Amino acid sequence: MHEQCDQLIDYFNGLLSEEEEREFEKHLKSCENCQEEWAELTELTEDLPYAAEPVEPPEGMKDRVLAGVFAEEQSDQAEKEAPASFEKAKETKREAQASSYTQSESPKPKRWLAPALAAALFLSLAGNLYTILQEEEPPDTITTDGIDQVLQSVQLEGTGSATASIVEQKDTNTLVVNANQLANLEGEQVYQVWLIKEGKPYRAGSFVPNQNGDGAVTYSLDKLQNQGKWDQIAISKEPDATSKEPQGEVILSSKL
Amino acid sequence: MSDRDLDLYNQVLEGDKGALEELYDKYEKLLYSFAYKSCGQKEMAEEVMQEVFIKVWTQKATYDSSKGKFSSWILSVTRFTSIDIVRKKENQNYSLEEERDTLHQEEPSAEDLAEWKEQGEIVREAVKQLSEEQNKIIQLFYFKGLTQREIASSCNLSLGTVKGRIRLALKHLRKELSNIKEKGGVGDA
Repeated sequence: MHEQCDQLIDYFNGLLSEEEEREFEKHLKSCENCQEEWAELTELTEDLPYAAEPVEPPEGMKDRVLAGVFAEEQSDQAEKEAPASFEKAKETKREAQASSYTQSESPKPKRWLAPALAAALFLSLAGNLYTILQEEEPPDTITTDGIDQVLQSVQLEGTGSATASIVEQKDTNTLVVNANQLANLEGEQVYQVWLIKEGKPYRAGSFVPNQNGDGAVTYSLDKLQNQGKWDQIAISKEPDATSKEPQGEVILSSKL
Repeated sequence: MSDRDLDLYNQVLEGDKGALEELYDKYEKLLYSFAYKSCGQKEMAEEVMQEVFIKVWTQKATYDSSKGKFSSWILSVTRFTSIDIVRKKENQNYSLEEERDTLHQEEPSAEDLAEWKEQGEIVREAVKQLSEEQNKIIQLFYFKGLTQREIASSCNLSLGTVKGRIRLALKHLRKELSNIKEKGGVGDA
């Protein structure tokens, strides 16, 4: 048995890194044994979701969820698959995998990824520019759209330049980071944003810069368990988008 | 029934909010219950719902009717989303044990999906027939989405035997399912 056959379980659960997944899909194309096992796992687990005991959804969930959904632009064809960040790109791929493996279609062509990523970053930058322009107003003024408000904004120092703002939008706080003059990355490397409290780093979004060295990321702080005040923000260069703690050098940072 | 799903899905692609709402209503409880079983926490399960329907609406995930039923597809999007969200929380040292909510559990009501109503009871009954070890490995693999390595250490197995044990457990489950179906359902024994 090929060594890669042992990755089937992690592939089925979408847990391989992008590179591993690419390699595994290559292997899957030529390994009948894995194809059979993959089909078998898919078939045998088909009924399992129905084993979930019914639970009553919380009150008001439908309104909250649909409001969140319709707040998202249903983008046109050109932007359709644009991932908002590196992590999103991974998710998109997993969903493609969820639609089941077929020999003729897999692996999906990834050519769209680069221009789409650039488009996503451009949109993201445009959004940040808007935020930054709004900052010039007196701090208590609510923006003309009546919802966003900058709670805090800092300039990060180090190699390159970056601004980080915490923006309040309705009841949720979003971290917006906009960076320039960043060094290019290689392979699966990403720039990872960290929020630090009492020496402990929390992941707060990752991004890759475009060819001009401009990068940006927005991150909903509601995703973080720690909702208190943060001590520090830092950006480090990481080998890929999965680091649980900073492994690479911190290139930019600031006190909060 | 599934044709209706496909019609609604095609309308969603055209930007029809009403169609998305109809799909939401139809699948809300099943997907929420499934996500809750994976995450064990109601805020996270709601976050999963939000993500799943954003993916459907923005077409970050796209359904291809030639590859199977809409319900299977949206359930698998939900499973991947749950696994992702749980792992992201774990990155922040979130402990599942501490915050596991206990929600009132009930049987599906008359308005719930017929499929769920028919199958749920049978599948749960079949799961009960499994040994504790087999039940555990299915929970960890399918609902919790752990890695092979995590499953190995959690079940005291060598890495190489995990896949075989999972397949064995699933095949046993399949056998119990067909036994129950042959007997004409739960409660006829």
